[in-house]
Amino acid sequence: MHKFLNAILVLTVLVSGFFLYTLEHQTRGLERQIVKLDLGIVEEQDNVKFLNAEWSSLTRPDRLKQLAQQYIGLETLQARQILKPEELAARVPAEPIIKLEADGSDPIGAIIDKMQ
Amino acid sequence: MSHANARDDELRQGPRHLAGQNRIRLIGLCFCAAFLVISGQLTRLTLFPKADDSRNMPVLVDHLPRPDITDRNGVLLATDVAVASLYADPRKIIDIDEAVELLTATVPDLDAKALRAKLMAPGRAFAWLKRQVTPEERDAVYNLGIPGVGFVNERRRVYPQGHLASHVVGYVDRDTKGIAGIEKYLDDQGALFTASLAEPGEHATQPAEMSIDIRVQAAIVDELTTAMVKFRAIAAGGILLDITTGEVLALVSLPDFNPNQEKKNFTIEQSNKMTSGVYELGSVIKAVTFAMAFDYGTVNLSSRFDARFPLVIGNARINDYHAKRAILTVPEIFTNSSNIGTAKMALAVGTERHQEFLRRVGLFDRLVTELPESAKPLLPRRWSKLATATAAFGHGFAVQPLQGAAVVAGLINGGHMMTPTFLKRSAEDAMALSKTIVKPETSEKLRYLFRLNATEGTASKADVIGYRIGGKTGTAEKVVAGRYSKDKRLNSFIGAFPMDNPRYLLLVMLDEPKATPETYGFATSGWNAVPAGGTIIERIAPMLGVAPMFTPEDLEKLAKLDKARKKG
Repeated sequence: MHKFLNAILVLTVLVSGFFLYTLEHQTRGLERQIVKLDLGIVEEQDNVKFLNAEWSSLTRPDRLKQLAQQYIGLETLQARQILKPEELAARVPAEPIIKLEADGSDPIGAIIDKMQ
Repeated sequence: MSHANARDDELRQGPRHLAGQNRIRLIGLCFCAAFLVISGQLTRLTLFPKADDSRNMPVLVDHLPRPDITDRNGVLLATDVAVASLYADPRKIIDIDEAVELLTATVPDLDAKALRAKLMAPGRAFAWLKRQVTPEERDAVYNLGIPGVGFVNERRRVYPQGHLASHVVGYVDRDTKGIAGIEKYLDDQGALFTASLAEPGEHATQPAEMSIDIRVQAAIVDELTTAMVKFRAIAAGGILLDITTGEVLALVSLPDFNPNQEKKNFTIEQSNKMTSGVYELGSVIKAVTFAMAFDYGTVNLSSRFDARFPLVIGNARINDYHAKRAILTVPEIFTNSSNIGTAKMALAVGTERHQEFLRRVGLFDRLVTELPESAKPLLPRRWSKLATATAAFGHGFAVQPLQGAAVVAGLINGGHMMTPTFLKRSAEDAMALSKTIVKPETSEKLRYLFRLNATEGTASKADVIGYRIGGKTGTAEKVVAGRYSKDKRLNSFIGAFPMDNPRYLLLVMLDEPKATPETYGFATSGWNAVPAGGTIIERIAPMLGVAPMFTPEDLEKLAKLDKARKKG
């Protein structure tokens, strides 16, 4: 009786010990992963900050102005170029200036047709 | 001792075998207790691990995080970025020749000779190879896998907009301590304020939102740079205020500087002249005199003053630049910028009340804003009759340009004097903080004069058709060696728009502009500061959402301009 009980107890100790050890091992692994992920988050946040700074630097108004003048020939907006919504109707030409469909190449129209 | 005593007790008390059993029980009990303690501790440690022991989080932020600074639309003006610095431990490098070859191939600006010397130095355990490398270089060097070469993470304050808002944003020193501009203001608010912007325990911080609009700022910088080159001025400045909230939307002082520069050895010319310098603003101050005369009721719009002869006080003569030699009405005094007329208006108010009014609008006190650089107004030492007469048209007293702009803003917005701010503020908050300085009717009359002056007066070159601009010019002779110089001028223009319901106030300043062929040899404000102000307003009005409106006369004028252009 005693022997049997002892055997069971020893077995329980061994099994629970093994179980505890695996659990502990897993926890350690998870903790390492947390540290790694935390580090990754910090790094990503730093990257985001860096990219934000770079974006802000690349979209500097003076730089954009220079690029706009150099590549697309934009000029300062003049007061009379601004129209009120109700004045727009008078400015819309009766016939569209560019007739893509007549040329047989209307990629956007084709997409819309497909979707319908 | 206690064991020995226990044994003696047992010996005395009972038979031997009983004493032996007791001993075994005692030892058993001790073991049980010990195991209980060990298992208890084990359970405790397993269930409640010490949080800071189990994780070794890297400490990247060794000081309080500085908040980002953004403009009113959220565009980044200042931020912290992590940068890696490359170092080497020469003792651990196996093949120095190979390391040098690899490093110079990956990081182009490393000098092979200097690098070799650093790595060959005997007994050296640490050497910086390059501070603050780019992320690409860091990854490339990391991939080389040279033993003994490593990185240290550092934080660096960067200003992505460069020189654009340098005077407002300011800069930090090597220990990221704010030493100028808003950066200093953030520090002066103390760690508490800085930390209140930072979420507790988080890496992220709330940005400090400024009132500056970087697009407007850039447009003003651009136009002022053009004007400065065109008129060969030694310095230029511009301020744009929202007069309903007192917010500074743009503050430009040229020449400016790049706060990203490694060595912050900026010269005095690069300082913020708009707040840290005082200038005689000249005729711009006449707006204050007119408001005073209207508010005390000593003149109205139909009053007349004799400006036929120079005004003589003691042995001083006050003369007009644009001399009309006529009896002028009040609007004519304003549009002709008559010194004689304005001086007579001030004398009619009286020396005592003149001082009282200037004190009321705050021109006797230092204007304190968030910017740490602020100068006190320079006033006449003795306030005599002559001082009143000259101060009426801006001679003999000098103020920060920002203060001048703020006072005129207060006079035009219905009489609510607001301390200008560089941080975002709502109109309600501004109203609650404001102080009433003049009656609304006075403000109304002044608006009328400003608009009149832009349609037919000295500021007519600023009248961009459609935006209803009103303005006042100022041409002040600079004091050189204690005397007013005839050819060194400080020209200014103060304009507000749209005049039917003024919202924005622009101050433009040009220091020592020269005459050019296009200005027919003139170098007064109407020929340089005023047109510069006009082009600035034309550029910024659409950004600020001011819609143009055209009266029939405007359309006629535009048609004429079109015709002239077609012919040309």
